[in-house]
Amino acid sequence: MAQRVIITGDVGTGKTALSQRFGADITHEASTRGIKLRYTHVNCREYRGSLFLTLQHVVSVYHPNFPKRGYSPEELLRTLVQILDEENAYIILGLDEFESLVEKEGSEAVYKLTRLQEMRQNKPQRLSLICILRSLKTIEQLDASTRSTLQSNIINLQKYSKQQLVDILNDRVSLAFKPLAIPEGTVGLIADVAFSENGNARFGIELLWRAGKYANAENLNIATPECVRKAVSSIVPAIRKSDLATLGLHEKLFLLAISRLFKQNQKANISLTEAEQAYAVVCEEFDTSPNSHTQLWKYLKDFSSIGIVEAEVNGTGSRGRSTAISLPRIPAQELEKELRVLLDEESKKS
Amino acid sequence: MNIEDVFSSKLRMKILKILHNVSELNVSEIARRLNVNYMSASKHMKILEDEDILQHKLFGRIRLYRFNEQSPKAKAVQNLIDVWEHQNRK
Repeated sequence: MAQRVIITGDVGTGKTALSQRFGADITHEASTRGIKLRYTHVNCREYRGSLFLTLQHVVSVYHPNFPKRGYSPEELLRTLVQILDEENAYIILGLDEFESLVEKEGSEAVYKLTRLQEMRQNKPQRLSLICILRSLKTIEQLDASTRSTLQSNIINLQKYSKQQLVDILNDRVSLAFKPLAIPEGTVGLIADVAFSENGNARFGIELLWRAGKYANAENLNIATPECVRKAVSSIVPAIRKSDLATLGLHEKLFLLAISRLFKQNQKANISLTEAEQAYAVVCEEFDTSPNSHTQLWKYLKDFSSIGIVEAEVNGTGSRGRSTAISLPRIPAQELEKELRVLLDEESKKS
Repeated sequence: MNIEDVFSSKLRMKILKILHNVSELNVSEIARRLNVNYMSASKHMKILEDEDILQHKLFGRIRLYRFNEQSPKAKAVQNLIDVWEHQNRK
C-alpha cells in the first residue's frame, strides 16, 4: 500500500536523518522478506525544485544512461512506474526540501505525484512519498484537492532539548574522537550554543568538528572550550555551508559580487543594478560571460528563499521599480570567504 | 546476414563497443557520440537487433538499446570486445 508522509521541523531537528534512517531500516526489512524495495532520497533544492529533474534522478538510479531530455515530467513518471512494474519493485521517495518543489512547480506537480496511484486502482501501489519540509505553511499554498492527498500522516519534529543535544554530540564524539579528547565541558558548551540556535543539532555537530580542527591546529591533546569559542566565531550559523555548495557557478559569482559590495561600502542596502554591475566585474575576473538580468533576478529570489539575503521591491510608480538587497544575517566578509573557498575548489576540479 | 556483412561496418563495431562500455543507451545519444545522424545510427542498430545481438526496451518514446543477454551471439561479441580491449591495453 503506497503511503504519503510529511515530516516537518526546524533546521537541524533531524528530519533528513529520520527519513534516511527509516529508509535504510525498511529497505533492510523488505529485503529479508524478499520484497524489492528501494529508498531514494532526493534534495529537491539541488534539482532547483523541478519535478522533471527530481524524477530524472530517480529514473537514473535504475537506468543511469537514460536520456536527459526530449520528454515531459508525465512521461518520466510513467517511465518510472513502468520500470518498477517490470522489476516488480517498490520505491519510497524521500523528497527533502519539499518547499522548493512546491514553490517552483505548484500544486500540479505534487498532484501528479500523489494521484499517480489512484490511476492504477487494481495494480500494485509502487510509489510512496516522504515529504520533508520546515513548516506546513508551504502545504497551505497548494490547492485543496492536492492538500487532501498529502495531509494524512504528519510527523512534526520538535527542537532538541539541551540534554538531547548533549547525547547526540557524545555519540559523535565516541565515533570521531580519541577517548578523553573532548571534555564534558566542551560538549556542554557546544550543546548550549546549538540550543540557542533553535536546537540545531547539525550546527552543533559542525561546531564540534571545527573545535576539533582548532585543537589539531594548535597541537592540543584536548579540544578546550576556547576551541569551541573560536569555532563559533568562525562559523556562519545563519546559512549552511551545504546551502552555498549547492549553488551553481553563476549563483556563487553573483553572491560573491553582492558580498564584496557590502564589504566595500558599509551600506545597509544595495540596489539590484549595483549588484549587477559588481557581478559583471566578478564574471570578468572568473573569465566567464555574465547571465542576464532576468536570471539574476531569479537567483536573488532563490537567495532570499534560502535566507542568505533579503530582497525588497521599492516604488510602484510609473518610472519602474527598484530592488533593494540587504544582507541581515551574515557578515559580508565571512560570506565572501566561504564563497572564495568553494569557487577555488570548483576551479581546481575543472 | 553473413558474419562478414555484420561486422564489416566500422559504425556497427563502434556501436557495439559503446554499448559494451555503458551497457545501455538511446539512439540519439549513440548518434551523438559517433557524430552521425539519427537515421544512420538507427539503421545500424536495427541490423544488430535483427541479428539478435542487441535488444531494445521502450519507455514511452525513448528506445534504450542494450546487448541481448539471452543471445549466444551477443555473449560472443562481448567476449570478443573484452579480449580485444584487454590485449590492446597491455
